[in-house]
Amino acid sequence: MSPKEVSAGIFEITNRGGKQLATKNLVPGTSVYGEKLVGIEDCEYRIWNPKRSKLAAMVIKKFNVPIAQDSKVLYLGAASGTTVSHVSDIVPDGIVYAVEFSPRTMRDLIGLCDVRPNIVPILADANRPQLYAHIVEEVDVIFQDVAQPNQSEIAVLNAKRFLKRDGNLLLSIKARSIDTVANPKKVFKEEVRKLEHGFDVGFKVLDSRELAPFHEDHLGILARVRN
Amino acid sequence: MRIITWFGTLTPGENGSVAEWELFPKDTDALARMLVQPKEPGMDMPPAGFELRAAAIECGFVTSNDEYNELLRDVSIRAAKYRISSGTPDMGMIQAVEALDDISETANTLSERLAEWYGLYFPEVGLSSETLARFVAKYGSRSGISPDDDLYGKAASSMGAELTGLDEELVKGFAGNICTMYDTRSRIEEYIVTSMESSAPNLTNIAGALIGARLVSMAGGLERLARFPSSTVQVIGANRALFKHLRGRAPSPKHGIIFNHPHIRNALWWQRGKIARALAAKISLAVRMDVYSGELNESLKTGLDKKIESIRAANPKPPKRDNKGGRGKGSHKNKYKKNEKTGGRK
Repeated sequence: MSPKEVSAGIFEITNRGGKQLATKNLVPGTSVYGEKLVGIEDCEYRIWNPKRSKLAAMVIKKFNVPIAQDSKVLYLGAASGTTVSHVSDIVPDGIVYAVEFSPRTMRDLIGLCDVRPNIVPILADANRPQLYAHIVEEVDVIFQDVAQPNQSEIAVLNAKRFLKRDGNLLLSIKARSIDTVANPKKVFKEEVRKLEHGFDVGFKVLDSRELAPFHEDHLGILARVRN
Repeated sequence: MRIITWFGTLTPGENGSVAEWELFPKDTDALARMLVQPKEPGMDMPPAGFELRAAAIECGFVTSNDEYNELLRDVSIRAAKYRISSGTPDMGMIQAVEALDDISETANTLSERLAEWYGLYFPEVGLSSETLARFVAKYGSRSGISPDDDLYGKAASSMGAELTGLDEELVKGFAGNICTMYDTRSRIEEYIVTSMESSAPNLTNIAGALIGARLVSMAGGLERLARFPSSTVQVIGANRALFKHLRGRAPSPKHGIIFNHPHIRNALWWQRGKIARALAAKISLAVRMDVYSGELNESLKTGLDKKIESIRAANPKPPKRDNKGGRGKGSHKNKYKKNEKTGGRK
């Protein structure tokens, strides 16, 4: 039952309960948010629940996750760091810039940064990337999971400043925070249109899939800047 | 062009190199303080595509990628900690309001339990909640009731069981705990009143300390409340009714938590919406005065009283109900039908 690597740094573990996603624990012996630790052949893995993480749901939905061992990742909407901790596992030789706006959740995130060597916490509003441009360098991947009505605009603003020419954007769109009452399908269509043509920097959407049943009314998007 | 980075100020040269630089002291704490400070005027942020890491190595600030990562991480953690510790002053009050709700709920639940429990031993007691808790904590079993107490006679002829030994100890202790809760609750209330009077005198004057504090708590701070339009202030706390309305299934809510204000609660039903609107407008003005000037202005209160007086005078009688059932739910069916084009919004 050796783990199968489904994407760089992301593993599928088969055990009695069926298949589960996991990442190799960068800080062995510590569980971040109560997730299970599994030891296999001298390695420790942390079980990754797709119901608690948009990125894990994207992996299960067969997205091509463009994160490598040495990737630099800009993570917008880090919250208390559940998913960030797994991204930090995936990029042992890279770095994660974790942007979060709420001081309350930042408190938890800092606790995580204290024990993990590759996370840089940034308490800032993702709407205003100019306010952290003196900290964040160019990155290979932007992962965004912010519950804001102008999600696609935030993605564009940050990609313009920080995303490498051939870098990738992974985006989770939450329909309910754009319009609480409209039909999610319509909201998704409109957001994809906005990403492709709505701003001065256009994206090419490579892949988009709904994240149900793990996250209701969420759309996962993989996109690249159109050159 | 002079640009600022987390490790120093630079003048970029040709093709991505750095022409001149002035580095900050290489000390975690000093660098973190620079990050937290507001930016000096005349400094630009690095343009898109600027290679911060390469620049830091070129200037000799750090010698390797690993050193860059490590230092930046330490500095950012320190900076984030500084930012968090400088929280806003009304955070304490917001917690107090939440604590007040929690403690009321808990005290009520426990009081109900006490009523059931003590009811086994003295069903005729006829007291409830705080008075019952104080009574039980004071006397314990029926035999302990002093002859001066009004309930002495009832206790002597009670049909309840005897309360003795361990049972008495337990029930009495339980009641004592409930009393402490009520004490804490009144202390929290006092705290809210005094801190509202000092931090938001106008809001307290118009809305009352507790309603004012609730508004601040739900808005997430005095300053945020000051930025809300008064139409929002009017319906804060009526979330369910508001979303029902936005989905096109109901009329708009007239009032949120400001309903608890005596001006609205005691108003005649057909005047309530109008008074709520006037009150919300004055609350908005009051909060803005509190945030931006901080001085008490009595004219707001007199203005509000006058406005309410004129609303009462202009609407002395209830409007005529139509014969389909007036205010009943059915009458909104067509009037508030969802507008497909705007998704229910007007």
